[in-house]
Amino acid sequence: MELNLLKFFKNIKLKTFLGLAGVLFLYKIVLEPTRSVPFQVIGDLLVLLTIASLVIYFIEYLSNETLNPLSLVMNLGIINVILFCLITFSGSVFNLFFDNVTENVQNPSIMLSTVMFAYSFLVLASLAYIFLVFKELYFLKQKRNASVYFNTMIVFIILASLTYFIKDYPDYTFIKNTFLIISILLIVINSLKISWIAFLVKKEKISLLILSVVISILFVVNLIINSSTGLHDKILMQFSPALNQFSNIIMIYGAIYFSILFFTTLFHLPTAEAFDRKAQEVSSLQYFSKLITQVLDFDDLAETITDIATKVCNAQASWIFLKDGNDLKTLANKNIGLLDANLINHFIYRREKYSGRSSTFIIKLNKFGEIEKLSEKYSTLAVAPLIAHKELKGYLVSAKKGDFIFDDEDKNALDTFSDYASVAIENSRLLEESIEKERLEKELDVAREIQRKILPAQNPVFDRLSISSVFIPAFEVGGDYYDFFEISGNKFGFIIADVSGKGISAAFVMAEIKGIFESLTRTYENPKEILVKANQILKGTLDRKTFISAVFGLIDMKKGSLKISRAGHCPVLLLRNGFAENIRPTGLGLGLNFGARFSETLEEIEIKLQENDSIVLYTDGITEAKNIKMEDFGDRLFEETLLQAINDPPDVIANKVIAQVTDFTKDNSQHDDITLVILKWK
Amino acid sequence: MAEFNTSVKDQGEISVVYLKGFLDAHTASNLENTFSGLVENNKYKIVVNFKDLSYISSAGLGVFMAFIEKVRENAGDIKLTTMSDKVFNIFDLLGFPLLYEIFNTEDEAVKKFEENK
Repeated sequence: MELNLLKFFKNIKLKTFLGLAGVLFLYKIVLEPTRSVPFQVIGDLLVLLTIASLVIYFIEYLSNETLNPLSLVMNLGIINVILFCLITFSGSVFNLFFDNVTENVQNPSIMLSTVMFAYSFLVLASLAYIFLVFKELYFLKQKRNASVYFNTMIVFIILASLTYFIKDYPDYTFIKNTFLIISILLIVINSLKISWIAFLVKKEKISLLILSVVISILFVVNLIINSSTGLHDKILMQFSPALNQFSNIIMIYGAIYFSILFFTTLFHLPTAEAFDRKAQEVSSLQYFSKLITQVLDFDDLAETITDIATKVCNAQASWIFLKDGNDLKTLANKNIGLLDANLINHFIYRREKYSGRSSTFIIKLNKFGEIEKLSEKYSTLAVAPLIAHKELKGYLVSAKKGDFIFDDEDKNALDTFSDYASVAIENSRLLEESIEKERLEKELDVAREIQRKILPAQNPVFDRLSISSVFIPAFEVGGDYYDFFEISGNKFGFIIADVSGKGISAAFVMAEIKGIFESLTRTYENPKEILVKANQILKGTLDRKTFISAVFGLIDMKKGSLKISRAGHCPVLLLRNGFAENIRPTGLGLGLNFGARFSETLEEIEIKLQENDSIVLYTDGITEAKNIKMEDFGDRLFEETLLQAINDPPDVIANKVIAQVTDFTKDNSQHDDITLVILKWK
Repeated sequence: MAEFNTSVKDQGEISVVYLKGFLDAHTASNLENTFSGLVENNKYKIVVNFKDLSYISSAGLGVFMAFIEKVRENAGDIKLTTMSDKVFNIFDLLGFPLLYEIFNTEDEAVKKFEENK
């Protein structure tokens, strides 16, 4: 309370006004000046100064809110009605309390003159307010700096008011008449400059049309009763002739302004709808361009969307929720807590899951069972579905509290905006996806490069053994590995392996096992021994779900024998005498078991090699190569193809197999690495 | 893209997981989630039914390896049933029958769990 009082007196504008009003009161009542010209002029000047200070004081209140021309016009109407009542009933009310008012006006008692002062002051205040509204309407949406016209008009209005007392001196009335006529002319000119009508929507224009008729009539009526000789006229003349004239001029202004307003609005009406549409398109475009620039960052985009959403429908809170599998994910919650938003999300989603609505709809929260749990009392929601590629991605929700509601315009605005928002969200998501895809492709490039460097650059050449190898990488690196090792004592080791999984992680494991086998083959030579040691080393580095299938073989060139161990890999095929023999000793894949079981179950077998024996090593990329019907190339077709080429050199055999596989899978993409190594004993 | 999905049926203490479609590097995470869910709920007696599984890749096999240790530590097991010949061959090549119990029918696997109670 004290604080308010403090504020009250700190306001310099209010102080000026109150000071002037006090001076005026003293001047009029206490001094009771004679009706001589200088005194009258001083009184008039005081009155006009008071009006000016009041106008300046009112401005502060008006400019606090964004100016809506329609509400300004409504204010004018109300003040006019008040003035009308004041003027009409003043006579009877005064007569009720005072005797012979009409005669006593010239020579009033203290009591009467105080009441008359109050009455005049009320009129003064109303006029000041009306004048201020005219000023605001004049400058509303005015593009050029038009203050010169308005200020000139003010000067002439003041002059016309101040010279009004001259009407008692018939010889000089031309002075006041001239000023009055110039004022009216300026009023007409200024009233023609109405630029704010164009910005109203059609509905507003229609109500303005009706209002302007009513108000212009009110002004005319007030003008007539104001200037007719009655008690009102007498009181005002006694108070200040200038105020009387000022009120006349204001009434004239009003009558002219609102008549012109009526016709202007009338002419604007036919194009109103087109203008509405244009205006909406323009504002939508602004939003759209705002969204487009933010597509690069998904979170920023979401923030902007909710920010604009609150603006387009004057909501108190707004947020987005997207379907994320079975979850609902809240994004960019603006002016609402995450917990509240999540509660409401589930409510909306339960209701709307199967509704298939595609345009904005309003939900009243009074049917929301958990409304008590909300920390803020939201009452109404406007929910805009976000739809991309005919699929519901989520909702843009705006909420209002208390008695605020969403009207049709809010709904339409949200509809238009949510269309743009859906597109922007979808674009942003696609962009993120393609960036991710590019990253993956880069990663796979690296993986393929690693693989290429790990695999032997060329096949070794021996007198009794010719070697051929084919490796075709899949788009996603499949983890195939093969290698050859020259072991002392005229022995030759080879390995074929397949790392589980794909991509860069598989490529790294390949690099690791290459190192392991490179070093193991320097110390050990028996396949079983080497695989058991390799498994032990891998124990420390492989993660639990990764394993490696491998075959390790050792050929003794002198003895013409082959020792082989298989750790979970595809069997080795021995092509001999027109038959394909599956060599399949038992053995677990590397990394499947790090205990004793691995070595316990791992077999090693020895085969005596015969002339023209072919040893075929392969990975499941061949046997599991799929055609468009998702059928496997299969073991049988593989063996048949090999046997048909059994007498060819290993290069030719390998090429025939690859040709056959390619032919089989022709319309389907290769989903795993293909490795084929053929060793032919001569 | 090949489809894959899992469903789980609770049969007392035992959870039967049904696999359907193609289990490869892209869909393995789906099965991982299913197993994680079971383990989180302390369901360690798991029977996996392969009846409707048409393909399994090495990444798919890796999922079983990822969970078997944890499951066995908690007195449970993952038992495999009803594999097609093709799928069994893939398991067999790697030596899985040495590490996992593989049954012809779901009932046999469930019975095995109940006997060992």
